[in-house]
Amino acid sequence: MEKNKKQFRIVVRIEISTLMNQNGKINQRKMDRLAMVLSNLNNSGKQILVVSSGAIVLGSEKLGLPCVPDKKIDMQAVAAVGQAELMRSYQRFFDEYGQIVAQVLVTSDIVDYPSRIENTRNTFDMLLSMNIIPIVNENDPVSTTDIELDDNYPLALKIANIARADFIIIKSENNGLYSVVQGNGKPVVEVENEITLQEKIEALCSNRNPARVDATDIVFPASLEEIITR
Amino acid sequence: MEFRKKLKDKKRIVVKIGTSSLSFSNGRINFHQIEKLAEVLSTLRKNGMQIVLVTSGAIGVGAARIGMTQRPRELNRKQALAAIGQAELMKMYQKFFEEHGQLVAQVLLTKDVVSISRRTQHARRTMDRLMEMNIIPIINENDTIATYEIEFGDNDTLSAIVATLIEAELLIILSDIDGLYSADPRTESTAEIIHSVFEITPELEQLASGAGSSFSTGGMVTKIAAAKMCLQAGLDCLITNGSEPSVIFDILNGKKVGTHFVAGQHQIINHA
Repeated sequence: MEKNKKQFRIVVRIEISTLMNQNGKINQRKMDRLAMVLSNLNNSGKQILVVSSGAIVLGSEKLGLPCVPDKKIDMQAVAAVGQAELMRSYQRFFDEYGQIVAQVLVTSDIVDYPSRIENTRNTFDMLLSMNIIPIVNENDPVSTTDIELDDNYPLALKIANIARADFIIIKSENNGLYSVVQGNGKPVVEVENEITLQEKIEALCSNRNPARVDATDIVFPASLEEIITR
Repeated sequence: MEFRKKLKDKKRIVVKIGTSSLSFSNGRINFHQIEKLAEVLSTLRKNGMQIVLVTSGAIGVGAARIGMTQRPRELNRKQALAAIGQAELMKMYQKFFEEHGQLVAQVLLTKDVVSISRRTQHARRTMDRLMEMNIIPIINENDTIATYEIEFGDNDTLSAIVATLIEAELLIILSDIDGLYSADPRTESTAEIIHSVFEITPELEQLASGAGSSFSTGGMVTKIAAAKMCLQAGLDCLITNGSEPSVIFDILNGKKVGTHFVAGQHQIINHA
């Protein structure tokens, strides 16, 4: 019976700024807590996908730049340096919990290419079936559209749709709270910390069947503003 | 050998390294090879050259990471392993290049980088900018969303696309093949390496289809196709064995190694 049960699939949207200190370095404790709770959710049978920004911020730090560049061409170059750094950080922290991660880079126009959606979905399905957490980011170095610095909610939304996720979890930059957005359009749930996040997710998952019947069922709010007003 | 001597003057080069040059015959990664490659390329960069590295190997590294002993056949499994392995592979490159104080960057491309012109512009500009900043871009196919490298020959084509895109002066393809032979070296004892090629003729392409490697997905055919793209774009290409990465120094010193595809010479030679 357990075998036939569909697994819940959750997209976790991370803005790197929520995991950093004032001095622009990664906050080890916050990163560690995040890696722990996501590894733990994965252990409990939930399928986790992380959508994380941070390539430009970490690239600037790596290159010793006084601030994040504002010209697009510089952002793209810096992102090429920083993405590898970003993955290195995730690998290091998840490794503590024996959790393997994978890198998936997509351009924002992915939704215009059905074959890419298909390929990406297949890759997600395979990675998740192997209990691996994909870390998804925008492929900034080759991006042809404007680079949205640290607003990756639109990307998270696209990934949630491609992966047919049941929830999106968002760590808020303002108060550090986790918001859980349900794929059936139900109101946002806010939780204070990682422990209650785990409990909340368990409760949400035990109460019902996964919302993910097919992609058309998913009605995630289209913007963060919409989440707040709901 | 005056064409070989001219290789000394090349300022912008693309180096492509295949899976066979990066790993042991069991498919596991060979750290020494990455270490040596990082040393050679860092040295060249410090001497004022602009270097782009096109690397394979993500799938093998991904397989090792999850304890898989055999290279998978299914496409989606390969894509998943590439997603795991690419990040691991970059970590290794970062580590070895940083030992030489050299920064690297990751650029993942899809095949359509050349067919969609705005993509071409953006990718080109990013790589130019990185080289201006003395950073070595490390390129691979974005396997997760496309299936090109996995299906078509071990990045040989991608390396020629990149070399053309950034208007490099030379593409060096390192693999387990010594170069283009006059006959199949496995069956003909008289087979010799052809050291200089000025034009890719149908006969030459025929010759290439006979030889190859069982380990890499590329073989000689995709390498000749890459060389052809280079010659058409007016840049030189050199195919040689990468078991010793310092061979790049030999090449740039004009030593007679591998097969040198010389651009812009075939009419001159024919008239001579």
